[in-house]
Amino acid sequence: MAASPTTLRLTLHVWRQAGPERPGGFEVHHLAEVSVDMSFLEMLDILNEQLLSQGRDPFCFDHDCREGICGMCSLVINGQVHGPEAEITTCQLHMRHFADGDTIVIEPFRARALPVVRDLVVDRSALDRIIAAGGYISTDAGSAPEANALPVSTAVADEAMDAAACIGCAGCVAACPNASAMLFTAAKVSHLALLPQGAPERDRRALAMVERMDDEGFGGCTNERECQAACPKAVSVAHIARLNREFLRSSVLGRS
Amino acid sequence: MLDRLRRALGSSIGSKALMACTGLLLIGFLIAHLAGNLLLYADSEGRAFDAYASTLENSPLLPAAEAGLALLFCVHIVLAVRVQRANREARDVAYRARSSHGARTPGSATMVATGVIVLLFLLAHLYDFRINRPDGDSLALIVRERLASPSGLAVYSIGVAALGLHLTHALRSALQTLGLHRPGYEGLIDKASLLLGIVLGLAFWSFPLVFFLGGAA
Repeated sequence: MAASPTTLRLTLHVWRQAGPERPGGFEVHHLAEVSVDMSFLEMLDILNEQLLSQGRDPFCFDHDCREGICGMCSLVINGQVHGPEAEITTCQLHMRHFADGDTIVIEPFRARALPVVRDLVVDRSALDRIIAAGGYISTDAGSAPEANALPVSTAVADEAMDAAACIGCAGCVAACPNASAMLFTAAKVSHLALLPQGAPERDRRALAMVERMDDEGFGGCTNERECQAACPKAVSVAHIARLNREFLRSSVLGRS
Repeated sequence: MLDRLRRALGSSIGSKALMACTGLLLIGFLIAHLAGNLLLYADSEGRAFDAYASTLENSPLLPAAEAGLALLFCVHIVLAVRVQRANREARDVAYRARSSHGARTPGSATMVATGVIVLLFLLAHLYDFRINRPDGDSLALIVRERLASPSGLAVYSIGVAALGLHLTHALRSALQTLGLHRPGYEGLIDKASLLLGIVLGLAFWSFPLVFFLGGAA
């Protein structure tokens, strides 16, 4: 039985862009000995070391915790957000999922609302502005209230937790055919709509967040569930349905 | 309150909710239209269909119904153009490699193209039987003659194929947009949506096919 290779030779087509509003294009690079045990980001580290040793500019890419919880890493790898494995971030992707001799196309998340800062780094602050428009609860800080003062059933708590699992990576926007931020916005609206703590601001939350989302230049949902398939935390489009309900209910019945 | 409604209708979700409502009402119209058309099969002289047509034409409610239908179509189309423009603009640089891993279907990926074809088909259809209709003749006869011609077969086959494909994504998309989603029922709604498109498409296709193959008489 032939042993599977422990190192890979790869051809990389990587997006290079000097800055926002600057023209971009793909550069082709070759890596000779990529360990199958490396993560995808470690492979990019090797590429950057190689470029630095040649006196060339390394590629900029986002990363932080490298353990799948911070939401910083991005990338569209061979047309797939966060690469070919389901429910993981790019930092959790390992090179054993690629074959010796593979060509890999690496692109930034593409959306007008997420402009390229440089190379593979995009500006995701539009998502922060959607949250700032209403994705919070206003409450007096102080000592923690008695845990049983606000009863929440297990089923509701579980559903709210599923929505709250969103790490804000913008993978949903990148995967959406319309670059829509509906799943991201829905996750926060749904999370807070399910819980009693979110109730006081419920009537204005969905309206304000959707208005901000539209103003930022994100597209609209055409219900093709690409976002759900790309989400590293498997946030369901059921939350988009709840966002739609919240929005329509608040528009018609909400108190000003 | 009114300000909220106005802003809601200007938003992406409000536009799509209105598209969903008009779309569902248009599906209702299609089912009624199909039921009326099936009278063409009731007898070979077309008496049942002509009686039905003359009842409709003599109804005092017809102008209001036609105006309502025109309004439904116009709202659905105008909002589709607005939503589609925003969606196009939202991704200014295309991906070099792009693959689908969600629930993108031939129907969902071609909603705009099939929508445009259905609009052109609707105009041709109105021209055939409403604008350019010869006076005095039996409508059933006019329909059969038109559908029995090679150009009739071509135009009506393309038109109803686009309509059927458009409808395969219609129901599931409209229900989700209106927030009618229940975990566990996704698969069922997908199947119902697909079935609706196929059944309505095939049922409407049967008319040009039957009259072309069988001849006008």
